[in-house]
Amino acid sequence: MRGPAAAERIRRAIGLVNAVADGAGDEEITPTEIAEAVRDCLELSDLDQLPNVRKYLGEALDAVSDGMPADFVAMTLYAALGALGEGHQGN
Amino acid sequence: MKSAEGRGRTLDEAVDAALIELGVSRRNVDVKVLSEGVSETVVEVTVIDEAAADAKTVPVNGKAEIARSLVEGLLKLMGVRAQVQVRSGTNPITLDITGRDLGALIGWRGETLRALQSVTNVMVGRHLDEGERVIVDVERYRQRREHTVREIALRAARQVKMTGDAITLDAMQAFERRAIHLALEGDPDVSSSSIGEEPDRRVVVGPRPDAQ
Repeated sequence: MRGPAAAERIRRAIGLVNAVADGAGDEEITPTEIAEAVRDCLELSDLDQLPNVRKYLGEALDAVSDGMPADFVAMTLYAALGALGEGHQGN
Repeated sequence: MKSAEGRGRTLDEAVDAALIELGVSRRNVDVKVLSEGVSETVVEVTVIDEAAADAKTVPVNGKAEIARSLVEGLLKLMGVRAQVQVRSGTNPITLDITGRDLGALIGWRGETLRALQSVTNVMVGRHLDEGERVIVDVERYRQRREHTVREIALRAARQVKMTGDAITLDAMQAFERRAIHLALEGDPDVSSSSIGEEPDRRVVVGPRPDAQ
């Protein structure tokens, strides 16, 4: 069940970033929370078989640390989600 | 702006009656409930942004044109046949993508569309001011969703006022939750807040504590 779990975690991270970008106005989201959400994704050992997903998640984590705009972080996380989909199609 | 009054036993019937009179679909209309009783609901339906919907070309500022051109180029590289126009009179800059069979560009619950918007903002970012953003819409999906959730919010608010009980809505994206908070912020009797974690974060509509 690695696919749904990984996709769910990546979507959670994307949701947090989009809430910042779209200004939902109903919660205070810190970069630390976003970084934690991305780390939660990276903790999934199953992703070892999907190096592209790990690569994009790592880039997203770096982007959060470097204070890059929310849209850049979101774009990188969407790339991870896309790579996850491709990985499953290939498996 | 064209508007019409609609009457029916339910909200949907009343809206449909007004839509038939106007000869338009639900896509570009705003609904205002004038009265709601046990046997009859009366609404006023207004066609919104009519000029923008019909416009072939609109005057655009430099930044909007850069954004439009970049998205057009991106879609071309993706092999998507579509037209990109700048929606007039909107702040932030809003790009409307129209064409045939663009469902794939919207994706599951608008996910692909949201990703496209992120990519667009990264591409256009250096041309924008601090905090300025570009909104991307495909076949007015986003606008329709905002209207739909606003209708849901107003309906929930009426129910909360009748029963006094809070209502938890379905999980929604950030822009949808924002539309609900904005729709209800001026209501003296109900308030909205959000609970849960992404992507299952939900809006709760309840009685305003100081109104009880």
